[in-house]
Formats: sequence, C-alpha cells, structure tokens
Amino acid sequence: MEKALREELISLFRGKLSGTMEMYLETCARCGICTEACHAYASMPLPKYTPAYRAEVVRRIYKKYFKWQGKTFPRIGECKVLDESAIDELKEAAYSCTGCRRCMVYCPFGIDTQQIMSIAKLLLVGAHAEPELLSLLADVSISKGESMDDLKEGFLEGVKSLESEVVEKWRQEAGRTPIPTEVVGADLLYVALAGAHSIIPAAAIFNAAGENWTLSFFEAVNFGAFVGDPSKTKIIMDRIVNEAKRLKVKEVCICECGTAFRVMSQLSGKQPFKVSSITRVHARYIKEGRIKVDKKKLSVPVTYHDPCQIARNAGVIDEPRYILSQLTDNFVEMSPEPKYNWCCGGGGGLVAMGEETLDFRMKSSRVKADQVRNTGAQVLATACENCHTQLSNINDHYKLGMNVQFLSSLIADALIR
Amino acid sequence: MSETIKADKVFDLKGLPCPMPVVKVSKGIKEVSVGQIIEAVTSDPGALSDFPAWAKTSGNQILKSEQVGKETHFFIKRVN
Amino acid sequence: MKTIYFLVLVPMVYLAFAVFLAGVIFQLLKVIKRPAFKPTLAIHPKRNPAFLWAILDALLLPTVWRHKRTLWFFLMAFHISFLMVFLGHLELITEMSWLQVIGHEIFMGQGFLGLIMSLALLYFFFRRFASPTKELSVPEDYLLLMLLFLTVVFGSEMDWARRWYDYGEMSVQEYRAYLSSIFMFKPSIAAVSTSGHSFMLVLHVFFANLFLMFFPFSHLMHSIFGFALNKIRRG
Repeated sequence: MEKALREELISLFRGKLSGTMEMYLETCARCGICTEACHAYASMPLPKYTPAYRAEVVRRIYKKYFKWQGKTFPRIGECKVLDESAIDELKEAAYSCTGCRRCMVYCPFGIDTQQIMSIAKLLLVGAHAEPELLSLLADVSISKGESMDDLKEGFLEGVKSLESEVVEKWRQEAGRTPIPTEVVGADLLYVALAGAHSIIPAAAIFNAAGENWTLSFFEAVNFGAFVGDPSKTKIIMDRIVNEAKRLKVKEVCICECGTAFRVMSQLSGKQPFKVSSITRVHARYIKEGRIKVDKKKLSVPVTYHDPCQIARNAGVIDEPRYILSQLTDNFVEMSPEPKYNWCCGGGGGLVAMGEETLDFRMKSSRVKADQVRNTGAQVLATACENCHTQLSNINDHYKLGMNVQFLSSLIADALIR
Repeated sequence: MSETIKADKVFDLKGLPCPMPVVKVSKGIKEVSVGQIIEAVTSDPGALSDFPAWAKTSGNQILKSEQVGKETHFFIKRVN
Repeated sequence: MKTIYFLVLVPMVYLAFAVFLAGVIFQLLKVIKRPAFKPTLAIHPKRNPAFLWAILDALLLPTVWRHKRTLWFFLMAFHISFLMVFLGHLELITEMSWLQVIGHEIFMGQGFLGLIMSLALLYFFFRRFASPTKELSVPEDYLLLMLLFLTVVFGSEMDWARRWYDYGEMSVQEYRAYLSSIFMFKPSIAAVSTSGHSFMLVLHVFFANLFLMFFPFSHLMHSIFGFALNKIRRG
C-alpha cells in the first residue's frame, strides 16, 4: 500500500474517533462472552465470526497507529500495519457482521461492534475496496436527489398506476386521491421503498384512517449507511429532511425498513417534524379507533420477527405485539425476550448485495431458521424489507414452509369498516 | 421515438424487493457487450425514477421507455 | 542486594505511581477531548433510572451471569477480593478507623482473599487456552494475568506466613513503617529489608509496580470506562 493512501486511511480512522469510540477500542478484555451472541458464529463456529475477533481486526490497527504500544511494543497487542492484508481482513470482518448489535447485549461493558465496524467500512471506502454495488446504490440515491425535477414525472406515472390496487383494498369517498403526492401542509409524509408492495397496503391503511398524508418522492432506505460512508449517508438522509420541510409536514413516517428508520430517527437531529416507524403509526390508528381490523382473518399461528434496527436498536417492541394481538388470537413469541432475538442474517447491506452474499447469508442463519421453525407458526410476520427478503430466502433454503408477510400487509388485508 | 428497438436481453424486474431492481439492472447490463441493449420491465414507481438515476450514475443510456398497461419497458444501451 | 531492594521499594514505587496517575489522566483526557458522539447508542427496551442500572451492570455483571455462569463466579470472587485487598493495603499505610467499623485483623479474609484471587487468576489464564478465547487473546492479556498472579502470590505468601505459619518477624507495624514513609515522602526501608521474607515483599512490589505502569495503557482501563460504556448502552 502506498504511503499516501495509508496516511489518508489513518486520517479517516482518526475522524471516526469520538470519545465513545475511544472507549470501545480501549476497553475490550477479550473475555469472549460475546462469542455465542453472533448468529454467524452460532451457525458456523469459526473464531473469525466472533464479535470480539471482528472488532479486534479494527482494534489492532488502532493500537498500531493511535497507541503507545504500536510504536514501542507492537507485538504485545498484535498490532497490525495497515496494508493490503489488513484491508482484506477488514472486508471480511465488516461484511460478515450485520450490525444487529446482539453482541452488545452480551458484552459486560456494552461494546458496540457495529460502531467499530463502521470504522472498517469507512476504511474500505477510503481504499476503494468497499462492495461496489453498495456504493453504486448510494450514488443512485444521491443522483435521484439531484435530479428530482427531471425524474418526478416517471415516478408520478408509476404511482398513478397503483391507484386502482389501493382502492381495491380500501374504497374511500369519491374525489379523494388514493395516493396523494406533493401535498403541502400534509400531516404525515410517508417515505416508502421502490416496490409497489411498500406503497399499496400502506396507502390503503392511511386512507382507512382518514390520514392527511402525502407520499415521498424518495425511497426511505439509506445505502450510504450500509456502505458506511457518513457523508453519503447525510446527503441521502437530507433529501427526505428537505422534502419534509418543504411540504411542512408534522410527521415523517418511515416504511418497513430497519436501516431507514434508525438513520432517520437517530441521525437526523432536531427537526420541526417527528419521525415515526410505520408500525408505531399503525398501532396508534388501532388504539385510537381510526382503523378497525378483523381478528378472524388470521386463524393459523402467527409469529413476529423483531427487526434488529427497529426493536433492539430503536425501541419499537410493544407496538407490533399490540397490533398482532388485534389481528389474531394465535400469536407465538419467537424469542423469550425481544432484545435477544436472533438477527435474520441479512442486515448491514448483505441482502442488498443479493446473490453475491446468498451463500454466506444462508449458512450464517442456521440458528435463525431453527428459531423460526421452533415457533411452530405458519405465518412469519416482520416489519423490515431487508428482514423480509432474508427470511423469505431462509424459508426457501431451509424448507420451512412458512408464509412470510409484512405486518402492514396483514393489517391492510384485515381492514374492516 | 416510434421506431421499435430490439433488445439483446430482457429482464423482468416487476415486484422485486428493495433494492433488487437496481441491483439486477446493473448486473444485467454487464451480461451484454458494449453497444448492445437490454430491456428492463418494471411496474414499481420507485424503479421508474431509479432507472434513469442509475443510468446517469453508471454512465449507460436509456434509449426509450414505454408504458404497456401497468408495465414500463426501459431500453438501455450499454455504453461502457 | 540492598541496592536492588532499595531501587524496587523506593524509586520504582514512585515511578510506578507517577506513570499510573499520569497514564490514567492522559487516557481520560484523550476520551474527553475527542468529539462527542451525539446519536443514541442505547439498547432497548430501556429502564429508568438508566444510570442506576448502568452502575448495577458494571458492578454485578448480569450479562456474564446470564451467559457464562462459571466465569461470573470467578469474576465476582476476584473483583470483590481485589477491592477488599485494596482496602487492606490502605490499612497498611496507617491506621484507618473508618475501615475498622467492622473490626477485623489486617488483612480481612484470614488469608483466603489471596488464595481466591490466585485461583481466579489461574482460571482466567487457562481459559484463554481454549478456542475461541484463544484466538481472541493477544500477548497483553496473558502478560497482565501473569503480572497480577505473581503480584498476588508473593503478596499472599506474606499474609499466609503471618497467619498460617506464625511468622512474626514482619508484622503490620513493619509494613506500616515502610508504607507510611513512602507516603510521607521520607522513604525508609529499614523495617522491611532485613527479614528472611523481605525478598517476597520486594518481588510483590516489583510485579505490582510493573502492573501499575502497564495499567493505563492496557485494557484494564475497563475498570473506569466500563461505567461510562454501560451508561451509554442503557441510554
């Protein structure tokens, strides 16, 4: 590796060193309590898949360039020079970690492996060794933000073509638009994903609740966060922040996408609108009697997979359970405690990389498949697009024979007057 | 543009989960040689604005998009 | 020999304390001076008051109790013994009436504290020979455990000699004479350098010095950062 590049990478590393990060890097006693916390290790017991080992890949570089021992006794902490082999190790560590933070629940100090992996991801970006696809996806999102006016027409045409399907699910008063867009002063801005499946059921429920809502032009997911590029993450997030400000909405509602919700709710800072997950909004509608659902629709056992970024990492835990209690009498918990739920194995950009990561995703989610199978449920609901895709893949791979569903679809299908 | 464009490969990208439409179209374009054309079919609103943004980012060229019922057909030429 | 005794028991002790204090302050300043990370890093569901739960997390290690029970027993035994032995050392400087609220002979624990610590340290050491902890461990981890073990063993031997073998030449008075002279910056090793067991004291202090100097630059900073990090996790 050339000296100039190494120095650039070290300076990127320095940029990630917050006070908290310093403590994460200084504290690990390598006690190994976290080992069984990782679904990858639990499914494939190789030391490189333990959280502490992954973190140590970054920590060894930290010790080399930011600690006295790196200059005096580099062997004492097995300090690692930043070279090509270090880049390979960083890539393996960062992209075998889904950022689920289950290990953080196990660690006696509460070390956040996802935070440490964010250094690995940034160094990979700096060395142009990140997964190209994720960078491309982030760039597409940014480009969309820049050419919003040129692209709007196509988007609006697509939205128009979905209207009949929304009306099929919920017929509202004549004259009202089934999928409103560009409504200045709307109460709620709904940020969906590219697929029709993330718009139609949601629209039907908003209409049933009589919500004064408007659909965002942008997709909620933040590929900048997946690839670990803070500046791209911010540009992609700001597209939505600016749209919400322009439309003067009171609430930004994020669709069923874990990363999108966590980025928007935790990184956007103080804004004139509040950020909600769609699951929270749906629970509110039911509680306030704004929508009614039919309990008879779901008679088979239903279980719910808590998406890590929505439950353990953002606190939406009671709401999906409340919704399911209104949808069925046959709900089965998946994990004794939601914060201990196994990750689906698809987070951190792994699902977004598609076929490329399929083999690893399936091998590393053996424990997830067992956990799902043990519920004995027939319907597997979740509230995250990433989890949904991964769980569908698991369903096929492990022949679970389950019906994988979005929570919002279950609600939309159970709507009654 | 009313002339018919003949695609070298057709990809049906309807109803895919996020972000598969863009992932598949960017993998798909690599399956043809420079100068050849792929046809990407979608019905998802996000994809309708994603594809042009993707083409711009990746330096490929959308020759035409036409709506057939609920589907939109993009004809994309591999440029590099 | 006398010179070596003196070097270890006086200048090296001052050096060790200076390095320890400066090192810890340096590490704390490093953390404080770095920019703050604003977004929450909490794990849900949260419980209030968060700071109280964080203190309990740091002191009682509930996550270890839940996932590695044997390790928990050794960790608790070690850390509690460590705390009591630390208090015992305070009493070796001078009489501390506030520590004698519950009357006891100096050291508490009838010699068993050192034994518990030694066994726990052997456990910590040898569990690192099993995978996957083996692959995680670096030389620093073994070195720290060895330093601690040697410190504890030589320290305990003095305690055991007094308690279990009626060795009377070096008693609390002699240790106090030495330690208080160090703390008053009028160092004198006369009381502790002529006994047949003086070599134990010298070795004990030697390894303790090394340990102290290594402390701020090793993962032992967990003893301080552990509280802050647990608070961050609790939100």
